[in-house]
Amino acid sequence: MKHPGRTEEPAAVGRYIRERREALALEDASFSLRQVAGRCGITPAYLSRVERGEVAPPGEETLVRLARDLGEDPDVVLAMGGKISADLRAVILARPQLFAELIRQMKKMPDSSVLRIVRDVRDGNW
Amino acid sequence: MPTLEHDSLVFRFPQIEEEASFAIDFQRTLRIPDSDETYHLPPGLGRFPLRHAEDYSTRLPTHTASRGGVIFPMWQAEAMWIDFRNIGPDLELDFPVAVKIAAGKINAITGDPWRAGLTRDPQDYVVSPEQPWLDGYAVEKDVIRQFVAMPLGECYSAEEQLTGEAEWGGLQISVIPLKKEVWSAKRAAWERGKAALQERADILPDMACMSMEMSLAPGGRMHQAIEPDPFELDDWDTAAADRVFVTLVHGKDWKTVTGEPAPEHPPTARMYTEAGLPWFSHYGADQTALPGSGTLRGLKSAGAMHEILTGASLPDSEDVEVKVVVPTEPRRLIATGSWDK
Repeated sequence: MKHPGRTEEPAAVGRYIRERREALALEDASFSLRQVAGRCGITPAYLSRVERGEVAPPGEETLVRLARDLGEDPDVVLAMGGKISADLRAVILARPQLFAELIRQMKKMPDSSVLRIVRDVRDGNW
Repeated sequence: MPTLEHDSLVFRFPQIEEEASFAIDFQRTLRIPDSDETYHLPPGLGRFPLRHAEDYSTRLPTHTASRGGVIFPMWQAEAMWIDFRNIGPDLELDFPVAVKIAAGKINAITGDPWRAGLTRDPQDYVVSPEQPWLDGYAVEKDVIRQFVAMPLGECYSAEEQLTGEAEWGGLQISVIPLKKEVWSAKRAAWERGKAALQERADILPDMACMSMEMSLAPGGRMHQAIEPDPFELDDWDTAAADRVFVTLVHGKDWKTVTGEPAPEHPPTARMYTEAGLPWFSHYGADQTALPGSGTLRGLKSAGAMHEILTGASLPDSEDVEVKVVVPTEPRRLIATGSWDK
């Protein structure tokens, strides 16, 4: 899984949102700055500043709305904005030691190994 | 269903205890000489790599893929032991499980054909943590014959000697937790004991017909007790059992199947011993150890079968003089470098 545009840079999420929105706007006028901002409950001026990296990334709720509106994975967009979704945070905080250890161990693993960890061993016919 | 984590099969029963798990891995080891001598415990040289069978279903025989479970590679005449790790909710509180193990669907404790559930007379399973590992077929009281991989279909395995068929090979494992009420009572008793201890502390200042598949033949003799079940048979929740089929892939075919190199050949018992490396002794509460299976006792060992089939001795079968024996608590793993010949 390659995460598009993944970077530590704070403006990256704004740039990514702009690229995705403008690509969609080429095919569908409803992805104009004004209409997307309207559907996501923010002003066009604010969205414009987010896209240009002039302000800090929006809060979780707004980022998730933007991601959904643009057909992107909310977790990926949140990560680009330096955030972790509230449900994931709750999962980690419920068992902080276990998940901290698990995540550290998985840090250098390729995606295929990570997927193997979370999969059940399938039973068959015997 | 178990999960596959760092080359271990991990069984969890969160409906009974959320904070516990039971893990099985398969340890590479020396093949002990197949003679009249009874040897101490050989070391663990690291885990065999485990992979999901379904990930390689197109490169495995159809019947193997349909059994699901996991695969791992073994070279011909390579030995293996099964390591049990019991991870209870506290360091002082184990989470007991019953473990039923068969090779080629022949029960490794009784020699009977595989069947679901648990049987007590004779006991056809082991209990973790009482049993820290299993190295082979239980042939006598305090003696097992080591699990040694031989190609399925060449008459060596317990399955082929007992049934005349080479249908299953591999290993079959079922893990059964205690019933919830039995576990809860055990946990509550432990918590009461812990509370009492704390009070005192406060007072005191302080596989079939394919050459690719391997089966497990009985190898050399090893000191190992099979511990009796300390619980009542009815304490086990057989309805909550989890099971897994383990297919053993010949080391020479592992790369074709998975794209990964197979582990190197393990050292011979002679190379290992001459290097001055230790063997291990372990004595549990073996006064009451199970007697071993008359059926399994009657089997021909891999070495004896090899002589019948080929007229030659199995390579590296000469006895070795073991000089370094280390008493061990459960854990007998040693770090090794390269041992390939």
